[in-house]
Amino acid sequence: MAYGFEAKNDDGKVIINDTIENLHFIGKATRGGADSNYGDIPGYSGSNDTLDGRVVHTYTITCSGTPVAFIKPDDYARWHAVIKQSVSSTTWTFQVMISGTSTSNPPELYCFVNADDIPVPSGETHGMIVFKADGTSKTFDSRRQPLAITGGGTAVAPSDPTNTAGIPGTTSGHAWNYATNDHDFRSSSQYTAVTDSAADTSTAMFSCPSLAQAVYKRQMHGYKESCGCCGFGCQDHYSTASWWVMYRSAFRLRSGNFDAGWTNYAAGFAFSSNYESGGWFGGGGGSYSTGTMPYTAKTINLQSNAFIIADSSRYD
Amino acid sequence: MSFGLNVYKADGSLGFSTADITWQTVAQFTVAANATVANTYSEIAGMTVIAQRQLVNVPPNAQEDYVPNVAITNNSQTITVSPQSGLSSSQCIIHVLAQDA
Repeated sequence: MAYGFEAKNDDGKVIINDTIENLHFIGKATRGGADSNYGDIPGYSGSNDTLDGRVVHTYTITCSGTPVAFIKPDDYARWHAVIKQSVSSTTWTFQVMISGTSTSNPPELYCFVNADDIPVPSGETHGMIVFKADGTSKTFDSRRQPLAITGGGTAVAPSDPTNTAGIPGTTSGHAWNYATNDHDFRSSSQYTAVTDSAADTSTAMFSCPSLAQAVYKRQMHGYKESCGCCGFGCQDHYSTASWWVMYRSAFRLRSGNFDAGWTNYAAGFAFSSNYESGGWFGGGGGSYSTGTMPYTAKTINLQSNAFIIADSSRYD
Repeated sequence: MSFGLNVYKADGSLGFSTADITWQTVAQFTVAANATVANTYSEIAGMTVIAQRQLVNVPPNAQEDYVPNVAITNNSQTITVSPQSGLSSSQCIIHVLAQDA
């Protein structure tokens, strides 16, 4: 820069100048309702019914710029992620998913925007502003709390969101009406840890939108043949049982670590049983299902995303 | 701190310090669905650069929503956002961060 202001830190790294923009604190988003579900697979009871569960809290904030949202966990043991961000006019809505089914201990959402998108109260007449070369756009305004990013990097969840290794497939040869799930769909042991000294479990908050999503499905086909006396009047009996779980990538702060993992977002169970006509009985059967699998089982958007960490206490 | 800038809140507590900073925001922009955008920032040449992606205005559950790819090239100056090969991409907010090398 030919003239102006430049601040560097102890390592000589540029922190403030007329080109690098700083985000500024605009406030905490307002929390609305919460939806808690999927502590187990709906409609099914038996082996491997238990899931991690999830709560989706909804938050809103009104601002003219595009906010960057930081999650400040209240319970650092739970997994957190912004799974949806949408805007209508200048009102931004965030859906924050956390693992577990308890609606207690909701996180707080700290929001930051560019200096030009944040109003300054009329009474605040002192401070320091750094403008861009155009003389009107700000990169820094000390009157609105500038964001200090204390940690960051990139992270990606492991490819398999389930505690039982491997993709649960489809198998045949089971007994008719067999419906016992053999895949542990929980995600508690599935995460990737990234070392970061800024991560703690007291005041640290993070921003890392959830990109990856996955649908896993286990399906079992059952069969039996029943025949009347002396092998006459045989009937085929068929059954199908399937369990599916949808996941979103989610994150956790530990002391010295940023973890990228998974939390189940939705789940369902479907069962059908029928038998052909003939034999001693006429054809028939029935089926039922809970939920609708959103798409064919697969994992998408499994890519590294940038995460950043800051100290929430600076903005309280 | 040996040098740099501290900003204090009205109650005297520290609100901002250049000593704490590890990453800086370079830019934030929104890329429309299925679009390819390349932005160049000469001021971050040679720095370590990362990009955060946030899908916007898409449902989290009812359909497949694909995030666009991000490539950082040209001595870390150019950020190119484009759909994944053979896939449509959803609208996405890009938050570019840099760390002075």
